[in-house]
Amino acid sequence: MASPTTATPKLAALRSLINNAGIGLALLFLIVIFSFSSEYFLTANNITNILTQITINLILAVGMTFVILIGGIDLSVGSVMAFAAVVAGKAITLPGFGDTELILLACVAGLGVGMICGLLNGVISAYWGLPSFIITLGMLNIARGAGLQVSNAETIYAFPLAFEEFGSMLIGGVPVVFIVALVMTLIAWFVLNRTVFGRLLYGIGNNEEAVRLAGHPVFWYKVIAFSISGLAAGFAAIIYMARLNIASPIAGIGFELNAIAAVIIGGTSLAGGRGSVIGTLLGAFIIGVLANGLILMGLSDFLRQMITGVVIIVAVILDHYRAKYSAS
Amino acid sequence: MTFTKIAASAAAAIALLAAPVMAQDKPVVGLVMKSLANEFFQNMMEGAEAHAAQRGDYELRAVGMQNETDFESQINAVENFITQGVDAIVIAPADSKAMVRPIKKAIAAGITVVNFDVALDADAKAQQGLELAFVGPDNRGGAKMAGDALAEALGAGGKVVIIEGNPSADNATQRRLGFEDAVAEHSLDLLDSRTAHWETEEANQVFSTMLTAHPDLQGVMAANDSMAIGVVKALENAGRSDIIVVGFDAIPAVLPMIEDGRMLASVDQFGQQMAANAIDLALEVVAGGPELEGWVTTPIELVTK
Amino acid sequence: MCSAVPDPNPVAAPDDILTVTGLKKHFGGVRALDGASFSLRRGEIHALVGENGAGKSTLIKILSGVFPHDAGQITLNGAPYRPASPHDAKASGLQVVHQEFNLLQHLSVAENISIEAMPRNRFGLLNRPEMNRRARVALDAIGLSDVDVRAPVSSLGIAHRQLVEIARALQSDSAILILDEPTATLTERETTRLFDIVTGIRDRGVTVVFVTHYLDEVFAICDRVTVFRSGETIITENIPDTTPQNIVRNMVGRELEAQMGAATAARIPGDVALSLKGLRVASDPNPAGVSLDLHYGEILGIAGLVGAGRTELLRGIVAADPVLSGTLECNGSAVHFKDPRDAIAASIAFVTEDRKDEGLILDMPIAANIALASMKDISRGGLLRFAREQQIAEEGGARLRLKCGSVRDPASSLSGGNQQKVVLAKWLARNPRILILDEPTRGIDVGAKAEIYAILRDLAAQGVALLIVSSELPELTNLSDRIMVMANHRIMGTVHRPDFTEEGILNLAYGQSDTSPIADLQIEGAR
Repeated sequence: MASPTTATPKLAALRSLINNAGIGLALLFLIVIFSFSSEYFLTANNITNILTQITINLILAVGMTFVILIGGIDLSVGSVMAFAAVVAGKAITLPGFGDTELILLACVAGLGVGMICGLLNGVISAYWGLPSFIITLGMLNIARGAGLQVSNAETIYAFPLAFEEFGSMLIGGVPVVFIVALVMTLIAWFVLNRTVFGRLLYGIGNNEEAVRLAGHPVFWYKVIAFSISGLAAGFAAIIYMARLNIASPIAGIGFELNAIAAVIIGGTSLAGGRGSVIGTLLGAFIIGVLANGLILMGLSDFLRQMITGVVIIVAVILDHYRAKYSAS
Repeated sequence: MTFTKIAASAAAAIALLAAPVMAQDKPVVGLVMKSLANEFFQNMMEGAEAHAAQRGDYELRAVGMQNETDFESQINAVENFITQGVDAIVIAPADSKAMVRPIKKAIAAGITVVNFDVALDADAKAQQGLELAFVGPDNRGGAKMAGDALAEALGAGGKVVIIEGNPSADNATQRRLGFEDAVAEHSLDLLDSRTAHWETEEANQVFSTMLTAHPDLQGVMAANDSMAIGVVKALENAGRSDIIVVGFDAIPAVLPMIEDGRMLASVDQFGQQMAANAIDLALEVVAGGPELEGWVTTPIELVTK
Repeated sequence: MCSAVPDPNPVAAPDDILTVTGLKKHFGGVRALDGASFSLRRGEIHALVGENGAGKSTLIKILSGVFPHDAGQITLNGAPYRPASPHDAKASGLQVVHQEFNLLQHLSVAENISIEAMPRNRFGLLNRPEMNRRARVALDAIGLSDVDVRAPVSSLGIAHRQLVEIARALQSDSAILILDEPTATLTERETTRLFDIVTGIRDRGVTVVFVTHYLDEVFAICDRVTVFRSGETIITENIPDTTPQNIVRNMVGRELEAQMGAATAARIPGDVALSLKGLRVASDPNPAGVSLDLHYGEILGIAGLVGAGRTELLRGIVAADPVLSGTLECNGSAVHFKDPRDAIAASIAFVTEDRKDEGLILDMPIAANIALASMKDISRGGLLRFAREQQIAEEGGARLRLKCGSVRDPASSLSGGNQQKVVLAKWLARNPRILILDEPTRGIDVGAKAEIYAILRDLAAQGVALLIVSSELPELTNLSDRIMVMANHRIMGTVHRPDFTEEGILNLAYGQSDTSPIADLQIEGAR
């Protein structure tokens, strides 16, 4: 029988670390290259910049991880983020309230809009068993249109000062918004690895029928996974507003693809059932560091885009081999 | 996204079919807009609708696109207008080359066409044998006005960067050229020039990194105000109040920034009236006035404190 | 046993087509093959037998070019043979029908049969009539004239898919045809049909390698048998010179006690645990549905041919699939299950037919699989308790004599028999009062089978009600107190233990209580 000494959670953490070692090395490799090619790369200011820049993508990607783990995909996060931002922007610019009330109201509105969009994605795709690719593509259009409708295509601005301050606050050079996103990532890690819910999400991604026959409400678990992704989009909207002090209905175009890229580079399988948010965190870092470092190197926009594409493909190829070796 | 395009053109087609042209005396004007998701065009559209209501002597049919580069929907819209036999088409082309052929077709069908906002490509027009006037602002001249304002504040040798719009968009190119004209004329030192695809968040990220790479830069020229907002936020976060920013479009959100000095200037093209002016010109031709020729410039104005 | 060890350097007999000497293959630390030596003669049917994990599948994969061997020699027609790819192996005249199906579900039967060499017309386009004609010939050759070549494979039952796969392999001219457990999913009638075909191929001079778990099949059609154990070949014998007991002894290295065929002392059934009254599942053509009573402490077997509606009935009981009409009573009171969750809450456990698709989460640890249906037991407030999970997994594993390195290993690392034990352990962890099993020992070796039988008998003795569907008649006659026979979604009759005869059960299964099933089979075979 099994060796009785295995301290399981520690072991699991260790294993997840080893699994992510490859991508960690890739990140390290990028950092080394950029450090040599630009004197500014490793400056405190630039590190602050990178952390700020990956925040929104990280939040969206962590939410996306839940959906991809169950074998789904959420193409609507960029649009939902814009819709949530516009609604929250309308809320936060309402006349006749105090700042605290307005900020609270905006948070509730943004998170609520995001979660409802995610909930709809989940209910529709799970109830009818439809591919989430199509349902969330529909939601991408619905949310974008709704955002434009609500805002009349106008950028909303003039937010309470306290809200703006939160968006640009630093603690020891680390942006508060990044710390918030990191805490969210750790909570997601905890949920996925230490709770029944997380365990069953992995199970659904691997073998949905086995989980259903074991008596678990697969439908609701899927709905919750999509709701989490929507909630993350709402959360990203709040962070977006705090950082830029505007709410634009055309924000977040194409953000879903960056989020998916972070998740996949982080080693989560598009087929579901395998992956981790720690990988997603590293994936978001790779994308952020790459964008930042290539600008610092003075590469043209077009080359930069090409290199980012190459890195995504190489990451997935490497992951393919990693999965193969860990399987045998 | 193909899906988006199909949905958009389907919606446009349905809207058009639902309103067949009646035999009536009022001339019918088809207005083909660019992306209504863009605040600028949304304003322009509203201006045109108000204008139609005010004049009351013509019927306006307006079609907008899903995004800036969605010229397929525009081609469909033009063809639908031809089918309906409208009297005039007033169009802001999404692509300065792709729209030449459908416009030629409309003219051949006896429809008065007015090209506004973005000029059709001169070479493409020559190749297709199309002669058509352009009604619109001088994007390049406007950008140069903003660039000049920046240059005067900095003096010769000032170190600047440009935040460009979509690399393939004509107005983005014109504005970049206008900024570059100002750079050349005032002997500014252009350190870097990058696109942020008209987007606030991306401009914020791209500019933060440019600022790291060029901590000594003194001025920024952003090809639209959405991007200028991202730049201003990046400067605030970096604690830099010594860098001067100019934008373009004069959207309401930047007016307070110009007021309190976070931005030096922006350029107003009076977008709200632009479509309405083009419609006026088209109706004059329909009523038997002389054909338009060359470039009918519309007013632009530098907005400063 | 010395005499049984094969000569380390077998001299190639003149009629040997393939000789394997000292073949070794290691995967990491696992010695999948550790010195296999045997030879195949031209035009023989050669059985390879051994418990799961004994090395048969590894050998086949080496022969068919899936992966290379580490050490040893293979000669084919006197020349060294080391296929670089499955394609290479096929070109050398070696065809394999794999245990796992390699059919493309959404393509037609004809397309699947011709997939390797699609016929083209003179314009280079697909010649569909020719493709369908070839497929027809291939299917008729194995007596599958009832299958439409244009039907998609997904519309066929599991047995028919197996036969289509065989038809595809037989289509090309091969010198050696390897059949990897071809009868695992076949009914006896289909098996007989297959045997006739295989004998016919042998008589044409083709060498057929037959991998199977069923010794009666070995004795029915094979000429020689090679026994594998722990990655080594133990012995090669001529069939007339050996006995099933002999082979089993060589396979397991010990005498299998009377475990397998042990006549169970008659159990006295308790109260009715589960009562079906006219239960009609979605695929059931009979409006009357199915009625039966299952008692505590009894094992009720359900026999029948593939397609008789047995699996569908089980899935209907636990609400894995929708039920059209009829009622279900649990402990005497009517219940209505909306989904499997309700059935589980009523202390019913359902071990599915297909452990890979429906039973196991292969990539997950064994412990997670065992705990899958007992999440409440291994969590508090929604948080997992890993120590408790490990404890439950280890207890469950020990109870079923699960052989694994660690319960943290993925379920995919286990052999078929041990995987099945994990599925069983998952359900036994809930201490169900009613246990429903669909093909509980499919594809697992004799040793593991005997162990599972003992466990099931033990459960019945503890008062658990067991309902077992199996396509292996000896399994049902071994275990059951009663056997209900289904045909075409109807219960044709119930046979009690004292009256168990294969003939009687088969009669019912073929839906005809007068004619002899043997006659029926012969008519089938004569085609």
